[in-house]
Amino acid sequence: MTIRDLIEISLGNLWRSKLRSFLTISGVIIAIAAFVSMLSFGAGNQKYITDIYVNLGLFTNMHVFPKDKNDSDTATIVSLNTAAIQRLTDIPGVKLVYPYDAFEINVSFADSHFTTQARSLPLAATKIKLFAAILNGRTFSSDSADEVFVTHDFLERAGITEPDSVIGRELIICAKAASLDSALMNIFDDKDGGMQRRLEMIEYDSLIDLDYRRRLMRRELNEGVRRFVEGFMSRQLSIYDTVIIKGVTEGLKSHYINVAPIIIPEKKAAKLSAGGFGLGRNPIDLYNAARAGMLFNSDENKESRTYSRVTLNLDPYASQENIKDSVEAMGFRVFSFAEQFKEIQRFFLYYNLGLGIIGLIALATAALGIINTMVMSIVERRKEIGVIISLGADVREIKILFLAESAVIGAIGASIGIICGWAASRVVSAVMQAIMEREGVPAFDPFALPVWLIFLALAFGITVSLIAGYYPASRAAKVDPVEALRSE
Amino acid sequence: MDSAWIKTVALCRFYRRGEYIVRATEDISLSVKKGEFVAIVGASGSGKSTLLNLLAGLDTPTSGFVEVEGSKLSSLSRRQLSAYRAEKVGMIFQSFNLLSNQTALKNVEMPLYFGKTPRKERRKKAAEILERLGMAERMDHKPTDLSGGEQQRVAIARALVKNPEILFADEPTGNLDEDNSATINDLLLKLNNDGLTIVMVTHDIETANKIAQRRIKMSYGKTVEDMILPENNTL
Repeated sequence: MTIRDLIEISLGNLWRSKLRSFLTISGVIIAIAAFVSMLSFGAGNQKYITDIYVNLGLFTNMHVFPKDKNDSDTATIVSLNTAAIQRLTDIPGVKLVYPYDAFEINVSFADSHFTTQARSLPLAATKIKLFAAILNGRTFSSDSADEVFVTHDFLERAGITEPDSVIGRELIICAKAASLDSALMNIFDDKDGGMQRRLEMIEYDSLIDLDYRRRLMRRELNEGVRRFVEGFMSRQLSIYDTVIIKGVTEGLKSHYINVAPIIIPEKKAAKLSAGGFGLGRNPIDLYNAARAGMLFNSDENKESRTYSRVTLNLDPYASQENIKDSVEAMGFRVFSFAEQFKEIQRFFLYYNLGLGIIGLIALATAALGIINTMVMSIVERRKEIGVIISLGADVREIKILFLAESAVIGAIGASIGIICGWAASRVVSAVMQAIMEREGVPAFDPFALPVWLIFLALAFGITVSLIAGYYPASRAAKVDPVEALRSE
Repeated sequence: MDSAWIKTVALCRFYRRGEYIVRATEDISLSVKKGEFVAIVGASGSGKSTLLNLLAGLDTPTSGFVEVEGSKLSSLSRRQLSAYRAEKVGMIFQSFNLLSNQTALKNVEMPLYFGKTPRKERRKKAAEILERLGMAERMDHKPTDLSGGEQQRVAIARALVKNPEILFADEPTGNLDEDNSATINDLLLKLNNDGLTIVMVTHDIETANKIAQRRIKMSYGKTVEDMILPENNTL
């Protein structure tokens, strides 16, 4: 008996009891539709995330962080500074290393004045897939060019509705940078007369007393430190510059990648963020510089500048494991997008498994319907089974006949169920996308129907039907032909 | 041919019906030669159909055995027994037992499904046999659209489509009127004349006398008479 014969016979038998077959198949349709729509939700989200990784080339990027005291294996904290960046660049397989350097700036554009975040980016980094995608393939003309890219977030704050209208226009930016001489000068600055008052307070006769001298020294030292820090924080240089807006990117909203509203070429940003003293606004930079004994090194590339994060762009054919090991051996923490992607994939595996199990519960209910239908069918066709046995069918063939009927129920149910499930997911997707747009969240299709899901749903529909049909088929195979032929 | 094609030795088939044991057939020893036309006659409940089922391998004896071409049916596996029914045996029944949702052609094709006959050949063979039995015009009809005689002819076609060596007929004219009965009897006789071995169960002694070469009479599960009928039995 060929598969075609089995299908023909099964369809003929199902057609005999149209209503019963329709109801049984409907159960399978509902179960498979639920199964498909649930799994397609998982698949849609998985596809969305995978697309981001692929489009942005994240698989070839790694973030490197300095370890902190909380890391269990931290012996000594290694600074992620310029020297470290150079060592990272030397690791085989690393194509590019660039730090994450973000700082606050004030901007004046048209009639708007506001404070926002700026990020520096080396020219080379704009050419890698990640930023090429974000910047739509455009780059700065040089690392020190008077050019910036702005994001939609910036436009929103500036009240601009037409992105194209800002391209080529001037933008005034102002960055504040701390200065050591401001801090030192503040110690001796006596504009409020405080120094005079303190000098008057000194009991010169008591200077002979050691305790008094110590107390006095402590007081003056504390005051000196307070004034130094106050000077560092408040007497900052304001550096103004005028730049041309080179382009508008979708920035944060398109990819959930941390892109500051203004992207500035690296060398230009260095001047703005460090104010020519090689120090940023952050007091931690000051601390690190002092700790490294390089507080007064005025070289732009001095090692005292530390970063909270640097990004490595890797050769796609290089072993990420080896690179990771090398970086960790230097005493840094590594975040690999490829590893994160594996984790995400694992999460989706469990997620889909969970959804699939819920779908299978529905399918189990449908299986009970199939068992009922098939058992009824066997009772009604007892004589027919006897005839078929008398014609020479063996136990195996009788079983196959009834299993085929179950499989056909499953196949029809699964095929229609896949279509219904997909149609339902389209409706839900349209509603969800409308809600996302209304809420200002970037809309995406959270459902996907990959080929594997179609085959999986078909396989599940048919397999569950076959399992459900096994007991009735076994009963059919056990029919006594003599009794069956005698029955009316 | 002198040797027995099928034979039974001390064949018994008992059923338990509650507290009672029904002795459907008891100690039956008989043999049928190739090409013979044997009629088994007897009153209702005499064990004729049980004997036929035992001979066809549909039922299993309580004791004794059925031997076909020297092989005991009881020694065959279930699959071999199915193969015996499929390849060597044809069966027709009083109530025709056609599949009501299939056309005459599909019904005749049915035994060929259980084998490796290609689809085209299957259809060709079924159409040929239906044509031979005068059912060419009715092959696309369903059993409900056919008369009793036509249905039995379709059933005979179905039994013959695999060229069996023996045909077991269980009251083949029991549900038919006189004319149709005559047609079927004529057909069976023709088939026997063409060399087909036939074992027919009937309660109608007259018909048995007319078409069979040998008559076995059963009563209360036992053979009470086994006689060769005169040569001039023709309809």
